[in-house]
Amino acid sequence: MIALVEELKSLFYPSAIAVVGASRAPSKIGHRILCNVLKYGYKGKIYPINPAAEEIMGLKCYPTISTVPDKVDVVVISVPAQRVIDVIEDAGKVGVKFAVVIASGFKEVGNVELEKKLVETARKYGMRVLGPNIFGYVYVPQKLNASFGPRDIIPGNIAFITQSGALGIALMGYTISEKIGVSAIVSIGNKSDLNDADFLEFFNKDPNTKVILIYMEGVQDGKRFMEAASKVALSKPIILVKAGRTEAGARAAASHTGSLAGGPVVWATALNQSGVIQVNALEEAFDLARAFSLNPLPKGSNVAIVTNGGGAGVQATDTLADQGIRLKEPPRDVVEQLKSFLPPFASLKNPIDITGMALDEWYYRALSIILKHKDIDMILALYCETAVTNPLRVAEYVLKAVKESSVNKPITVGMVGGPATAEAIRFLNENGIPAYPTPERAALALASLCKYKSLKEYVEVRLKQLS
Amino acid sequence: MSIVKDVEKIFEVARKEGRKKLLEHEAFQVCEYFGLSVAKYGLATSVEDAVKIARSIGYPVVLKVVSPDVVHKSDVGGVTLYINSDGGVEKAFKKIVENVTVKAPGARVKGVLVQEMLSRSMEVIVGATRDKIFGPVVMFGLGGIFVEVLRDVSFRIAPIAPVDAETMIKEIKGYRILEGYRGEKPRDIEALKNIIIKVSRLVETLEDVVELDLNPIMLYESGAGARIADVRILVG
Repeated sequence: MIALVEELKSLFYPSAIAVVGASRAPSKIGHRILCNVLKYGYKGKIYPINPAAEEIMGLKCYPTISTVPDKVDVVVISVPAQRVIDVIEDAGKVGVKFAVVIASGFKEVGNVELEKKLVETARKYGMRVLGPNIFGYVYVPQKLNASFGPRDIIPGNIAFITQSGALGIALMGYTISEKIGVSAIVSIGNKSDLNDADFLEFFNKDPNTKVILIYMEGVQDGKRFMEAASKVALSKPIILVKAGRTEAGARAAASHTGSLAGGPVVWATALNQSGVIQVNALEEAFDLARAFSLNPLPKGSNVAIVTNGGGAGVQATDTLADQGIRLKEPPRDVVEQLKSFLPPFASLKNPIDITGMALDEWYYRALSIILKHKDIDMILALYCETAVTNPLRVAEYVLKAVKESSVNKPITVGMVGGPATAEAIRFLNENGIPAYPTPERAALALASLCKYKSLKEYVEVRLKQLS
Repeated sequence: MSIVKDVEKIFEVARKEGRKKLLEHEAFQVCEYFGLSVAKYGLATSVEDAVKIARSIGYPVVLKVVSPDVVHKSDVGGVTLYINSDGGVEKAFKKIVENVTVKAPGARVKGVLVQEMLSRSMEVIVGATRDKIFGPVVMFGLGGIFVEVLRDVSFRIAPIAPVDAETMIKEIKGYRILEGYRGEKPRDIEALKNIIIKVSRLVETLEDVVELDLNPIMLYESGAGARIADVRILVG
């Protein structure tokens, strides 16, 4: 038997991909998928399958998979549920390795038998199934977008696994508008065969992925998930939004995808024990993913806050305190250096308040001093839009300070203000510095790096003790 | 594993009699197989038996009726605490049998459990259930209102490593009470950790155990250990 990770390589690095149900009508899902595969830049061979068409988008059409004169690795199936089994049979006979089943109408609506038959048919030929009831998948390093979601996914190192379809597609769009770089997006839907644990193992070994984000409704095999997650959490952070955190939510999830939802408390326990960072809100999940994506892990938990507004500093301090991070006074030599250019009324405790009269460049000077100091492990830069500053210039100075300091320390930036500030936030995110529109979000994202570090240490000890 | 076979015999008897809940002495025995420190006990079917067992345990003792048909023993006068003499045991035994015959007519009486009366201490609870998705889950909490009203409990999925036991003890809000609060001596956390780990092993090994409660556990001062006063086990 080939190791799972090796096996999944054919799914993410296919040399040829077929789209069954490829249509000339732009309104059809099959058309959209083919269009994404073609236009996102996939370099392998693409075969549209449609018995009623000669060619689509300049590509020659074939009536069935078995008539394609080439070895196909992946078949994306976008035909109604009743016809899926026949396609699998046909594809299986010619040795297709993966069936990506877009169609819905299986277990999620009570058609348990049809789904069972789907898996059995695939298994007969040694074929693995992704789905059904999904929007497809994306693997950015291969420029492969085999989904009917948005096309121009921003390259990055976050792998996103989602059990929800509509929400998943919407979040694909969110990553684009929020400038969040992604390595992969996998819609796993009903998880009839391939599941979260399988993809966790793949992304653990994937050099293009640094952090894994999961939107989960439920799992079939909790033990397997815990084992896989514990292993992966030792090297890569896993951020997870569990649908149905409350009893009411759990009921909604149970009737949604047919997965059994465990009790919320048990879920929280299991995730914590596996080193998974559980978050409640989607926004928070992506905030954290962004911080992990662009930062190294901290050496310790000594945070220095730089702000031009007292209020922003207090908000961030409270958020950090909620997460168990207490601020220490800045080192004496840092204070001395700051004094050289700050007004006498600047507060040189932590948060370091460079005052409302701070000029753009002061951020550069203050951050340069702080970044270099060996006793400071993490930096939180906060900014309130003022009349004497230009948000974009501030952002540029923040970037300059980080770029010029040879040290590699975690930093997040919280910038509060109007449209110009929104621009500045975008600028920082595009340039590899995680920036957020509020001090709380920036602080929470930074704190999560510490949280992961301690979770990881806990899981390390735990696995060692159990082995 | 021979333990599993021995325990299986106990479960078999329960199943044959249509019981989901193990009788007290059965549950105690299951715990002992896993090295859990339960109060000394013996099942007496006669007054003479009861006295003999009480003497070997040492006074004071507790007497409890053992019956699959009596759920709330105290309500039917089926429990006597703080018995300090042979005479006391004789009297209590007879009284319990009489009470049960009158207040729960027709109840099957297996005997009377003679149990060591543990010295009182801080009470804690360790329990386990089985989750459909994650399997055995172990719970820890302080006894009485802490669990019942404040729900100040922590959980871990089995298997439980020492670090799990340690962190789940520290996680509860009332942890400071265990550390020694207002002049109280700190409690025997090591003994408590051992109980949690043994419970994890028990529920992992015995798949038929669907629920288990060690309640209360008397948790003594650091170095003095912990003793289990009562055990409830449900089998599937």
